[in-house]
Amino acid sequence: MTDMIDAYGIQLRPIAEEHLEPLRKWRNSPEVAHQMVTQKLITVTQQVQWFHSIRERKDQQHFAILYRQQLIGAANLKTLNGGHIVDADTLEPGIYIGAERYRANVLAFAPSLTLLDYCFDGLKVKQLTARVKVSNQAALSYNYKLGYVAVDKDERFVQIALKAQPYHDATTQLKSLFNRNRRK
Amino acid sequence: MTHQETLFQAFATALNIELASVQADLTYNTIPEWDSTAHMILVAEIEDAFAVMLDTDDIIDMSSVAKAMEILAKYEVTF
Repeated sequence: MTDMIDAYGIQLRPIAEEHLEPLRKWRNSPEVAHQMVTQKLITVTQQVQWFHSIRERKDQQHFAILYRQQLIGAANLKTLNGGHIVDADTLEPGIYIGAERYRANVLAFAPSLTLLDYCFDGLKVKQLTARVKVSNQAALSYNYKLGYVAVDKDERFVQIALKAQPYHDATTQLKSLFNRNRRK
Repeated sequence: MTHQETLFQAFATALNIELASVQADLTYNTIPEWDSTAHMILVAEIEDAFAVMLDTDDIIDMSSVAKAMEILAKYEVTF
């Protein structure tokens, strides 16, 4: 498993103690919590316990998303069967942008591109899958732009899935946008 | 055509919306027509119209018509 990934102008770093409080505040904000499976507020104690619990886990990876050295959100990968991430054929990624300025911004694609490249090219997974609330049309539309397709649906959730080739086909242009020259 | 008219026309063309709908406060993702795909087309349209090459951070910052004017000013396009 990798420690830090740097691509498309953003960095994914393992979550550190300094990230915990801003992430907890974002996660508890109505805008972010509303789109999560559970809206239960997370306390400081719960957050710290969670942080200690994830450090040794091999079936999950949790990243802080940084842009211009600033924390803007969080990303994670989980296996479906509790096995080691490096052995998984299928992973479930999760991403949220907490920084309000970048929530409705094309930059929101950069962490996904970085994370998904890592999954397909680094970890060599065969498929990614996620559950998105039916009501979260913005997230569905966002994921369809990355090449995801809907594979199942119930009253509350749409199950979406993504394989490597559709992902690479769908994102070539988007990647070129983030791979231009950057300001110093 | 003034630079503002050229810019507004570029937005109308790239987003495939009426010119009258283009206002300074028009913002990314607030209308269905301005999504990530349209944003890429918009970048190409603006670059063609003003003969500039935007860098990635400017493309990311260009989240509204007003912001596009601010960014183009850095490329010596006056409004």
